[in-house]
Amino acid sequence: MELTSNIIIIIGTVFMLFGAIGILKFRSFSLRVLIISKIDTVGAVTVVIGVALRHGISFFTLRVLLLLGILLVVNPMVTHIITRTAHVSGYNLEEDRGQDDT
Amino acid sequence: MQYILWPMLAFLLLYIGMAVRGPSMWDRMLGMNLASTKVILIILMVASLQDMGFLLDYAIIYALSGFIGTLFITMFWGTRKRREKEKRDGTDQ
Amino acid sequence: MIPNPMLYAILALWVFGAVCILRERRNVRVMIYLFIFSLLTSLAYFLLGSPDTAMAEAAIGAFTTIFFIVCFEKYEALKVDGPQPEESPAEKRPVGAWLKRVVAPLLFTAVIGALMLYFSPGGEVVDHLKSQYLTQFAQDVGGENAVTAIYLGYRVYDTLFEALLLVVTVLAVAHMSYSTSLQSTKQKRYLKPSVVEIAVVRAIAVVILLFGVYLIVNGHITAGGGFQGGLFIAAFFVCRFLIHNIHDLPVYKLLRLEEVVFASSVLIAVFVIFLGMTYHLPAEHLPMFQGVYMVIMNFMIGMKVACGFTILFYRYVTIERR
Repeated sequence: MELTSNIIIIIGTVFMLFGAIGILKFRSFSLRVLIISKIDTVGAVTVVIGVALRHGISFFTLRVLLLLGILLVVNPMVTHIITRTAHVSGYNLEEDRGQDDT
Repeated sequence: MQYILWPMLAFLLLYIGMAVRGPSMWDRMLGMNLASTKVILIILMVASLQDMGFLLDYAIIYALSGFIGTLFITMFWGTRKRREKEKRDGTDQ
Repeated sequence: MIPNPMLYAILALWVFGAVCILRERRNVRVMIYLFIFSLLTSLAYFLLGSPDTAMAEAAIGAFTTIFFIVCFEKYEALKVDGPQPEESPAEKRPVGAWLKRVVAPLLFTAVIGALMLYFSPGGEVVDHLKSQYLTQFAQDVGGENAVTAIYLGYRVYDTLFEALLLVVTVLAVAHMSYSTSLQSTKQKRYLKPSVVEIAVVRAIAVVILLFGVYLIVNGHITAGGGFQGGLFIAAFFVCRFLIHNIHDLPVYKLLRLEEVVFASSVLIAVFVIFLGMTYHLPAEHLPMFQGVYMVIMNFMIGMKVACGFTILFYRYVTIERR
């Protein structure tokens, strides 16, 4: 069980590494959102599942599962909110090359 | 197991760098959200290493308060940009 | 368990964030940096071993960000539409600018880190007070959380004074921002949230309310307490503002409730701690009495903080909508 959970956590970290590479590679906001919203959520969820496996059936696992549910709802939601607000408020999502709109 | 904290710290640094550097405000908000996710994972790791269940309450609080803060920042900044856009286009009110 | 270099890295990052905030001039960026800084502060508290303070800091970080950004919004609305100072967007950045922006904060961080390492305590530290608190709290105050035991037992006057400060602040904000003449015809519309967002915030609001109640009721056993739980209940009302777009709350009734709760909490503390009610009880009833006292005090403080922050939030957001 220990080994399995460690392997799952490492897999999740590798997912996050892909997300980080995507952040460094792409410069425009829409591509970054596309990459991050999936890969980072999947990586976080994988790591949380690995930690939950590590502790077996206990109260710790129950709390970890609550955290997992909250992460699953909140994390894609925030990306949705940010992207939608950016679109509604007139940020040009199609042809942005990193414009500074402060 | 505790070596997994180091990549998390590296990601945290990277995303804080994104929040400081990112060209537009939306990039910054995204970087902020990602950094808070990484912090949640660090807390989870520490709680798991010490086997203390009550530390996870803190992780949940962190997730929820980060959500509310991000919501408000997007809402007000989006309203402001929207108003600027309407003023620019001449379709004010 | 936590590797020491990691703690130092987080602390260095902390100082770096502070320098970033100080050097930034644009207001909205400062908001975001401040939010990140408070999250980092919270993480640093957590890694240094105080989850209660870290919880309070995380919730407070979100609330201060909300308040600051609302204030910023009001300030922008108050600006006159006169000739703005000229801004040249295509300004050529001097060559050494990145040196100033990156190297100077890094250097400052390195110097602060070296000083921290140099002055970090080595050798013996006098800690009789700490050991006295940590060994005696279970008999003197009860409960399992030493922080709650300290702020409700040994240090209850500090707690009451902080509560008094919050009451005065809320009273000042509620009465100074009162006006019936500011009713602007051109009402400000915020962006309407999408359907998905409203649905999710509805679900999250219930979780937030339940979690706040859990933090208050379990404050004497696990990490948490009245302040954090009260902040979360206030966050529930913030969510209600987002969902239903409610702009008028019976602020004065809430204010009266807060005053009553504060006065009764002072009364309870005076009766139990100052007059020494615990000394007159038989020893077998003592643990139950202490548990009830801590739960009631946590509940009072939580209710007061929830009322206070709800009033502050609604007054900040809806000041010109009366």
